[in-house]
Amino acid sequence: MGKESGLKERYSRQMLFAPIGEEGQRKLLESTVCIIGMGALGTVLANHMVRSGVGRVRMVDRDYVEPSNLQRQMLFDEADAAEALPKVVAARNKLQRINSEIELEAVFTDVTPANVLELIQDVDLVLDGTDNFQTRFLLNDACFSKRVPFVYGGAVSSRGMSAVFIPGVTPCLRCFIQSADAGGQTCDTVGVISPIVDIVASYQAVEALKYLSGAAEARRDSLLTLDIWHNQYYAMKLGKPREACPCCGLKQYPALREEEATLLSLCGRDSIQISGHEPFDLALWHQRLSPAVRNTKVNDYLLRATLPEGERLVLFADGRLLVQGTDDPARAKTLVARYIGS
Amino acid sequence: MELIINGSKRELQLESRTLAEVIDKLGLSGKPVVAEVDGEVLVAEQWPAFAVMPGMKIELVHFVGGG
Ligand SMILES: [Zn+2]
Repeated sequence: MGKESGLKERYSRQMLFAPIGEEGQRKLLESTVCIIGMGALGTVLANHMVRSGVGRVRMVDRDYVEPSNLQRQMLFDEADAAEALPKVVAARNKLQRINSEIELEAVFTDVTPANVLELIQDVDLVLDGTDNFQTRFLLNDACFSKRVPFVYGGAVSSRGMSAVFIPGVTPCLRCFIQSADAGGQTCDTVGVISPIVDIVASYQAVEALKYLSGAAEARRDSLLTLDIWHNQYYAMKLGKPREACPCCGLKQYPALREEEATLLSLCGRDSIQISGHEPFDLALWHQRLSPAVRNTKVNDYLLRATLPEGERLVLFADGRLLVQGTDDPARAKTLVARYIGS
Repeated sequence: MELIINGSKRELQLESRTLAEVIDKLGLSGKPVVAEVDGEVLVAEQWPAFAVMPGMKIELVHFVGGG
């Protein structure tokens, strides 16, 4: 079987769907998407993009797989958690076996004002798999400054939301909200059930397929809100971009101008990330720390160890540090000073 | 004043009778919320000047941050 007939076989059911057809499938194969965040939403998004035959998929995430992820993050398994593999690496390993013809890029990094424009360069569409508003505003601003469509999705508890934001056509996230205060409603405080994640990410994925296959007219022009436990559904018309919007109207893109914070508390996760350190030689730090710490785990990407104080310290090869088990930045700094120095 | 908020009747004691006061009474001030009143989308900076009337249909959409 030649490659062309192999493709026809693989995507036959999708090409039989008339609004996509052979022409749409060809467009998908020539497309590039960037998925930011490879957690619950991101893994569902990546699964859809790769199986559907989107030619190039870039995945970006700063985290590694932990046992608490397995309840809903569909591309990961127990071995990934035991290995503490970066989520993007575990996802790439799984997706490669699903569709070896897709070009997969795994980028293990934190998305910041300094790297966001490079990460979304040369992509046709950005899919939101993030778990916090700070990063979403950054993506929103980056996408609108570069005129790249941005498909928002969010899920917490049994509630979810999604909208397609197209620069110059629809409003953006900042047209609707200014505050990034989630009011303590994060997956780490009020929990989340897996069906809402699949539903929201699937709403995002279908919009990506419409846009990339050339069916712009089929775009859903509403902000969708769902609560699948309490049986509520609401679709609010997106309307026009707002003139006073810092992105659409004033073209200021505030998040791109923010100074990169050196200390960042991960949303309600009882952990503090500290960036700005030089890259870590993990083998060297493993040797240095071993006498003082326990339960060490080291792989090509990170070194994780439990401190005598009870907290866990994670060193990433790129120079990031994570202190788990505290939400107090001062405490995190103290521990880092004690074991790493400044 | 009786209002219909997200499809349910609510009785709220209001003084200034603005949308900002309604949202404050519901504990949503400062949260990522957008309002839609009789089909019109209203963002936070428009709430203080928007007068509410009895029986108005107000949809409050609270943005979801997790993922
Ligand atoms: Zn806007």
